[in-house]
Amino acid sequence: MLAEKSAPKTGENTWLWLLKIGSGLLILTILIIHYIVNHFIGEEILLTYDEILRYYSNPIVPIMEGIFLIFVVVHALLGLRSIVLDLRPTRAVLRVINGVFGLVGVVSIVYGIWLLVVIASRGSAG
Amino acid sequence: MGESLRKPTTRAWMQAWFDPRRRDLGTFAFVLNRITALGLTLYLFLHLIMLGNLARGPEAYEQFLTTIEHPVFVFGEYLVVLAGLIHGFNGIRVALTSFGIGVPYQKRIFVAMMVIAAAAGIIFGVRMLTV
Repeated sequence: MLAEKSAPKTGENTWLWLLKIGSGLLILTILIIHYIVNHFIGEEILLTYDEILRYYSNPIVPIMEGIFLIFVVVHALLGLRSIVLDLRPTRAVLRVINGVFGLVGVVSIVYGIWLLVVIASRGSAG
Repeated sequence: MGESLRKPTTRAWMQAWFDPRRRDLGTFAFVLNRITALGLTLYLFLHLIMLGNLARGPEAYEQFLTTIEHPVFVFGEYLVVLAGLIHGFNGIRVALTSFGIGVPYQKRIFVAMMVIAAAAGIIFGVRMLTV
């Protein structure tokens, strides 16, 4: 009957599995809040460049977006890794995958935070 | 055993992977979860790359906004929303069953979640696709 439950896969650490589920729930919560605040309470338009600078000049916004970015990237890459695990990779292949996904994750998060800092600083300067 | 060890013909291989007949509801849930996951991951990286236009300044960003107003991009965006709804609501079921909650009723939970996703999908469709 245990097989009926969602459980860590072979080769998936229990903590990574928990992180995948926890980050998923967190992403869903943030997305629902974001949608209600920005599209039901706010106006339904694409923000212009100036509006984005103004929006990001409030420090809460880049901080929240930064946290959201980290959890989305982690969730996406752990999920891709689950798909790879389903295809029964050899140990050597899995090691390469771990390295590549780890690198992609770090690069994406650093790039995203750099972008947030650029936008936030332009907003507070102007 | 001997049957499964033999190298399958292309046709048998295609059938094993892509023939939708005689599959369990859980298999469809799994397939939906995986297909939407791949789509959302593709969108995530496109989104990160495209928002780089913000760093290149107002002209580059406004130019990007005009491009994505095209109906093809709006429809693509709608597919992203649908994928998010399906993946997110099915994800609630996965999270519940992960902790042993509602395991005997997970098929019914899946159907209920997909009804919610479909209803939300219609609302989004009306809001996004009609002018």
